[in-house]
Amino acid sequence: MTMEIRRYILGRLFQIMLIFFVILTVLFLLFRLAPGDPVSRMVDPNLTPEDAQRLIEQLGLDLPMWQQYLIYLENFLKGRFGISFHYGQPVSEIILNRLPNTILLFTSSILLAAFVGVFLGKIVSWKKGERIDTWVTIGALVCHTLFLPWLALIIIWVFAYWIGWFPLTGMISAEIWTDPSAGLLKKGLDIAHHMALPLITLFLIHFGSYLLVMRSSMLDTLREDYILTARAKGLDEATIRNRHAAPNAALPVITSVGLSLAFSINGGALTETVFTWPGLGRELVFAVSNNDYPLAQASFLLIAAVVLTANLVVDLLYAYLDPRIRY
Amino acid sequence: MKTGNEQRDAFAAPAGRRDWLAGGWAIFWENPIGKIGLILMACFALMAAASFVPPLLDPMYHPMHGVDPEISHATGPSAAHWLGTDFIGRDILSQLLAGARIAFMVGLSAAFMSIFFGTLIGMISGYAGRFADTVLMRLADMVMVMPTLLVVLILSSLFGQLRIWTIVLLIALFRWPGVSRVIRSQTLTLKHRPFIEAARVAGASHLRIIFRHIFPNVLPLALLYMTFRVTSAIIIEAALAFLGFGDPGTVSWGMMLQWVWKTGHMFQAPYWLLPPGICISLLTLSFYMLGRAMEEVLDPRLRKEGESE
Amino acid sequence: MTVLNRTRTALLLFSAAVLVFSPVAWAESRHPLRIGLGEEPRTLNVWMASDANSNNILSQIYQPLYRYAPGETEMVPWLASGPPEMEADRVTYQVRLRPSRWSDGSAFTAADVAFTCRLIKEFKIPRHYSRWKFVDRIEVVDDRTVRFVLKEPMAIFLTRSLTIPIVSEKEWREVAAYARKQKKPLATLFNHTVEHPLGTGPFVLEKWHKGAFLHMKKNDFFFGQGLWIGGRLLGPFVGEILFKIYGTSDVAMLALKKGAIDMYWQGIQPGYIENLEQHPEIRIFSSERSALYYLGFNLRKPPFDDPALRRAAAVLVDKSFIIKRILQGYGSSMDSIIPAGNEFWYNPNLTEYGESLNREQRIRAAHRILKEAGYRWTRPPVDDVGKVQPAEGLRLPDGSFMEPVTILTPPADYDPHRAISGLLIQQWLRQAGIPASARPMAFGALLQQVKTRHDFDAFILGYGRLSLDPDYLRIFFHSEFDRERGWNMSGYHNPEFDRIAEASEKTMDLEARRLLIYKMQEIIARDVPYLPIYLPREIEAVRTDRFAGWVQMLEGIGNIWSFCQLSPVN
Repeated sequence: MTMEIRRYILGRLFQIMLIFFVILTVLFLLFRLAPGDPVSRMVDPNLTPEDAQRLIEQLGLDLPMWQQYLIYLENFLKGRFGISFHYGQPVSEIILNRLPNTILLFTSSILLAAFVGVFLGKIVSWKKGERIDTWVTIGALVCHTLFLPWLALIIIWVFAYWIGWFPLTGMISAEIWTDPSAGLLKKGLDIAHHMALPLITLFLIHFGSYLLVMRSSMLDTLREDYILTARAKGLDEATIRNRHAAPNAALPVITSVGLSLAFSINGGALTETVFTWPGLGRELVFAVSNNDYPLAQASFLLIAAVVLTANLVVDLLYAYLDPRIRY
Repeated sequence: MKTGNEQRDAFAAPAGRRDWLAGGWAIFWENPIGKIGLILMACFALMAAASFVPPLLDPMYHPMHGVDPEISHATGPSAAHWLGTDFIGRDILSQLLAGARIAFMVGLSAAFMSIFFGTLIGMISGYAGRFADTVLMRLADMVMVMPTLLVVLILSSLFGQLRIWTIVLLIALFRWPGVSRVIRSQTLTLKHRPFIEAARVAGASHLRIIFRHIFPNVLPLALLYMTFRVTSAIIIEAALAFLGFGDPGTVSWGMMLQWVWKTGHMFQAPYWLLPPGICISLLTLSFYMLGRAMEEVLDPRLRKEGESE
Repeated sequence: MTVLNRTRTALLLFSAAVLVFSPVAWAESRHPLRIGLGEEPRTLNVWMASDANSNNILSQIYQPLYRYAPGETEMVPWLASGPPEMEADRVTYQVRLRPSRWSDGSAFTAADVAFTCRLIKEFKIPRHYSRWKFVDRIEVVDDRTVRFVLKEPMAIFLTRSLTIPIVSEKEWREVAAYARKQKKPLATLFNHTVEHPLGTGPFVLEKWHKGAFLHMKKNDFFFGQGLWIGGRLLGPFVGEILFKIYGTSDVAMLALKKGAIDMYWQGIQPGYIENLEQHPEIRIFSSERSALYYLGFNLRKPPFDDPALRRAAAVLVDKSFIIKRILQGYGSSMDSIIPAGNEFWYNPNLTEYGESLNREQRIRAAHRILKEAGYRWTRPPVDDVGKVQPAEGLRLPDGSFMEPVTILTPPADYDPHRAISGLLIQQWLRQAGIPASARPMAFGALLQQVKTRHDFDAFILGYGRLSLDPDYLRIFFHSEFDRERGWNMSGYHNPEFDRIAEASEKTMDLEARRLLIYKMQEIIARDVPYLPIYLPREIEAVRTDRFAGWVQMLEGIGNIWSFCQLSPVN
């Protein structure tokens, strides 16, 4: 690693930490200023005003703002993310429980969409101008603009209800996981079975943009000088396209993945909610509607951290893979 | 992948503005994507305009509190209600039309506002350079990576609940970075053009230069990006409404989908479930197509691509 | 006896034995009962559990001393062995306990009861403390007898205090000791993670797979197994229960139709009924609820500080329209704060406002009430010749124009019924010239606005579960509860009402108390600080092909009696 790259990374890391700190503070202010604390949601005549007051004190919501902020910072630095108001469990436990589910679904969908998008984009760029090009392009566009929750519901309706090949909801089947004789393979297949529909939904929404990026990138690349050289050398078209053009053309797709990460995360949260996939996105939506500040804060911070780091990684990866760019 | 240099060439000061417009229109219309996009958008604009009609015909057609005196549950399409009624007897078609109006309003306002912010910040950043540039662009980075939906979600808890204009403002506040970068590079190249130098020598203030000279030249680019912003604004508002964080007092397509979902008619009222989703998708598609077609008009390079091979 | 005879007799005896014992053997089958839940339970910590789904699970585990039985008006001894014996001083009660065990086999004793009650008092556990703070001391007489001594006679002791869940001293003793020493003892108690709660109920928790399901198995030590309580023979006859978590009712209904669950433990919207009824193996239960959905006014400021305006509003609200259109007929209109189904306490002779009047008649009646109270219009709802017309420019008796008023409602995704009722009421009030508009508002913010800040004109809220004991009347309208976070959200101050309410809390004689409660309802119906609107029915759906024996009770079929009586259909 050269000096420049090292400096670049350090610079970016510093930036990330700064952004993080800003987000941390903003989140704190947001939730403290928000109307509606978790206690106020409890509609139970048995809950007397004294009970409510006691609960508020126990949750620490009655301290002056600046004191709460300092406690908040101190806890965060020590790695203590608080106790969820809603579940009464440490927030880190809840997040650790949900995070793997999100990572599983999310990464699989991005990888699948990227690979298929690149592959189809490459093929379609060969056949530019022909009917298949138009149809695939239009198809990709249409898929990209479908409204995700709506698409998800229709997919559930068609594949899980009418055709009935897939489960309706969730990540696992209770019957299989409470069966003492079920082994790892059976459980793994069960998860895959449940993941199929959310995966397809996310895939449909995302593959279009990767396809289009790959397509235009291929067309650009095929005009480059070194391709002309390869042709002059007498190499056949297939080899040129697959071995020389495609790997370089795929690079913009990588940045595209990074740039559209925010968009993908939105989609992930929506998919998890509709499919009742027990992931972090869904938990965040719940936490916000329940005024569960500690959980909402920590979930959002984690997502922000992931997005920021992913962007850094994507930039570095691009720099590493593209011989033309050196920082 | 386009770099700033290539874009600069693409937007080289055109020969006469009128010729450019007429020529541009011709190119636009030739492109099937542009044609379809425009037609679709016109249909939806008609729908939005038509949304004022049903309540005038009969109070029972009001999307929010119009109830049919005979029907009090979800029914399918009929003579009186072309798309059927929702769970308490409100006309679905008038809700769909009202939704078109809201979609346009949200989409265009949010896009306009975000382009406004983005262009302003991009111009200032490109023109001022150095410290202001770094700070603003870092800010842009920070805002750009945030997943807008989740951010607005969290912000909604601050407001207790959101009114439609608050949603529009929030969306705009988080979607400006994309355009600001492009405007910035455009400004950077323009900054060193002779006509800017001339203006500076003539004693024009910085503000005057920015607004009088730079702005008109970045405008086409800004407008182009506006179409893309419209799509994301519409989708974010629909997703928010769907999740239950929208403005409960407005009838938007996302809100319609939420009502279908939460009142238990998701799988038994296709006449209620399908139209809003189709509309959201088609409207976003039309704006997207418009944007692509406009891109071709503004960027000769893309045009050439269509003619070769 | 000959060999043949002996063999025949043996065979007969054997068959008889098989016939007698096999239902019991078959009943404990391996096929689990599968129940859908609407949301993930919050916690297994019984003190923290305030949400319905946690209580659904915990109610299988922790049991109270007394509970209600279907069809019986008096409470039935559950963990207790008989009714509480009240002594002549009316403050001392003695309760004897049934022989029972905890789910780990250890004995359930009076020490556990005393520990639970003392825990509530010491830590001032919310939701329970208000019913135990008037208890002076709890004494363990012997292993099976507990004595309670109150500070003063309290009518609600049996129905509200002795219905708390009893926990095991063994399980909670150390937790309490640890919590006592912390800076925030209550929070520490709440945040204690309970993985395998020790209970006396029919089921125990086997596993909780977060986000997916809960697995419960039959408790072999359940005290009720084989006993006749409340006129029923108790099991449970089900070996396992799987609680599956569904995010939305739609998917849960699909699961029910496909046979992935046997019952969905959450009320469903009337919109599903038509479709579900087409499936022969699905049965819909429509049960009474003890609930109240109402329009509340803010009496602290104009314009709703004037009872005449409130009565006019009461006349304008067409409750039967709401029942028919919004609840699709699955509900009944309410004229008292106490539901009509609560037969003993409900006062049937209350002032009624506009019942069975049509729209025009209502407008006329409202016009009359307001005119008599001194209201004027620039264009009244009823003109000089008696024709109804759109009203405009309503003026208060002091001459000023009425400012627009807002009716706050929960958003449609939280509760479509209340949101739409708000819209309808807005239109109806406008017909008499009252400038009302309904505003849906996020639930947490709405409650804060109404309950803490007292900054509103009117609102539509509800109480989903009201106890059968009508003590809540006092909690809703006694002036001492008009404070921040108090349940007197309308700000009603009436010294006469206060006096009667205080008396009703302490009157031990049932008939005397009933008269007081009747009077309280009369006063409220006259002054209308809350306008009760509707009482929805609880609609639940089950499959009938695998399990039978659901017991319908107030609040639905998800009660302990169902779980103790359900058996597989074979």
